[in-house]
Amino acid sequence: MGKSGAGKTSMRLLIFSNYTANDTRRLGATIDVEHSTVQFMGDLNLNIWDCGGQHKYLDNYLNEQKENIFGNVEVLIYVFDLETTNKDSEYMLYDECLHSLATYSRDAKVYCLVHKMDKIPDPEKKAQTVELYRQALAKRSDLFRPEVFGTSIWDQSLYHAWSQIVYKMVPNMATIEDHLNNFRRLADATEVALFERATFLVVCSASVDPSTALKKYMGVSQSIKTYRFTCGQLQLPFQSIEMRNKNYSLFIEPFTKSTYILVITTDPDIEPAVTKANINAARNHFVKLAD
Amino acid sequence: MNGYSNQSSASMGMYRQGDVIENETGMTTEIGSTVLAHQRGSEKLAERRVLFMGLPRSGKSSILSVVFENAHPYQVISILPTQERVVYHMVTGIEIYDFPGIDDYAENQFSNAVDPSVYSGDTTALVYVVDSQGDIQGSLVTLFSVMRVAQAVNEQLPIHIFIHKVDGLSEELKQDIQQDIQQRVLKNMGYENLNSTFVYFHRTTIFDESVREALSRVVQRLVPRYQNLENLLNSFCTKSGLDKVFLFDVGTKIYLSMDSSPTEPQLYTFSCQTIDAMVDMTLVLLSDITGATEDDDDMTMQRTVVGLDSNTKIFIYHINSYLALFCVGSAQLFRQKSLLEFNCTKIAKAIRQMLPT
Repeated sequence: MGKSGAGKTSMRLLIFSNYTANDTRRLGATIDVEHSTVQFMGDLNLNIWDCGGQHKYLDNYLNEQKENIFGNVEVLIYVFDLETTNKDSEYMLYDECLHSLATYSRDAKVYCLVHKMDKIPDPEKKAQTVELYRQALAKRSDLFRPEVFGTSIWDQSLYHAWSQIVYKMVPNMATIEDHLNNFRRLADATEVALFERATFLVVCSASVDPSTALKKYMGVSQSIKTYRFTCGQLQLPFQSIEMRNKNYSLFIEPFTKSTYILVITTDPDIEPAVTKANINAARNHFVKLAD
Repeated sequence: MNGYSNQSSASMGMYRQGDVIENETGMTTEIGSTVLAHQRGSEKLAERRVLFMGLPRSGKSSILSVVFENAHPYQVISILPTQERVVYHMVTGIEIYDFPGIDDYAENQFSNAVDPSVYSGDTTALVYVVDSQGDIQGSLVTLFSVMRVAQAVNEQLPIHIFIHKVDGLSEELKQDIQQDIQQRVLKNMGYENLNSTFVYFHRTTIFDESVREALSRVVQRLVPRYQNLENLLNSFCTKSGLDKVFLFDVGTKIYLSMDSSPTEPQLYTFSCQTIDAMVDMTLVLLSDITGATEDDDDMTMQRTVVGLDSNTKIFIYHINSYLALFCVGSAQLFRQKSLLEFNCTKIAKAIRQMLPT
């Protein structure tokens, strides 16, 4: 949900359909609602409703189709355009959406993305702007306590936000994270992360130093995603990467049927073959866990 | 990180108006103070060199800044015209000279602008950029006057014609334009009794890897001992059972050599993208692994195996901070990976000895 031109469709295509940021330039307006279904983590089906942002559609959603649109919603993602000229009307619309949501799906989670953050070059100002939105939105939506992210299609912030959203949606994620941490300790690895197979979003990670890790995984995820896309064009499906240099060894391997695993070891004494054997040994355990 | 930098400042300021310069034929020419565009380089050019020429706005500087400075193609849509000759450095001592656009193709004026001695030498190549969506006729007229001067000095000068900016054209139109240009050039050379043995045509655009591929072909013959290098890769390829081996300059993704087996057309593009992705990832990971700095040594000896479908694998072996072997082979080969690695070490040692850094 969001106003016309906020960037909803660009965002969706970027995450789920291998678009690059430049490709999204030529997108037109979404007509009515575009439904798409994405298989996520194997058994999780995401039904994504990309709602057209133009006035006549929005009016329609909020009046005649209220029940249809806002019934059975698990997650509402509301996209704010940073460059909007009329903030009040934007908030009004947001209020109306939340109001309808409160009537039809009380348990839904709400995420607000302040989009097009690339228009503000200064990182400090970025944080301020997001904070401003956060305060304004917290006041307006007491029932849902929305989470606010600043995003941009030109850097990793969008992946970050989506990874957070997805993380909350997958059941028994805490258990998986626990076991992953265990695996990391047993294999003597510095970092371990799980990527979702279709979108290459980071779903779960375990690291010695978690502060910078997530950003790093985003970087890896994005390069692999673009790379995998080019592999696909040549009918050479991407499978695995093994990289070794003085500082670390890195492995990216298919793991369970819905995930890839990333393992990084920095201890030069660990032979790559050992790490590989460890990954293979852990696979069965995690397959069971996912079911 | 790449080891080259754009040292335009070094070459600038070496031309002075009113200098009297003697050229090879012994004639002296005074450069008038009013004719700014006609600069004549009197300093010595590198022995291995590529000269970039063409009409203004044909895309010479764009090509070079995309390849050598990693500029994004969209960034170079509006760059200023080159006023003075700019030098780009490549590994193994090849230098690439970006000449200002030739906007006045009257022959006598042009020959004043460039010292004919730049064309001399066995290790010189000329790249002439033709804008396929611009004034082709005018561009070719200039090309002929360049050719006449150049072949008078060096009859065996390889002349590579880049039919540039083909990104906007349909597949059919691309072919038509290339054929048209090819015919016109060869016919005209025949009329003028010029030697067309060393004329090559390439279709290029900065929006994919075609311009890098074309540049690779230009540079390949300028690499020191290129024949030996190719033989070396050939024997490595057959003895290790690989499908294809490239020797890449990682920073620019230009290949300096490859084995002589036939290449699938898309393989080069693909390998560029593979290297791109790997370099991206290395940079991301190096940014905060303890004790890692971004100096040259970190990439040294990096080995990467990329698994594609069930029976293709790619092995990238870094020889030093800017050269890498790119090997494509079947997955079975990688059961004995240590053997392959051992071979690579040997080849890397040989290449390090052959190519000056």
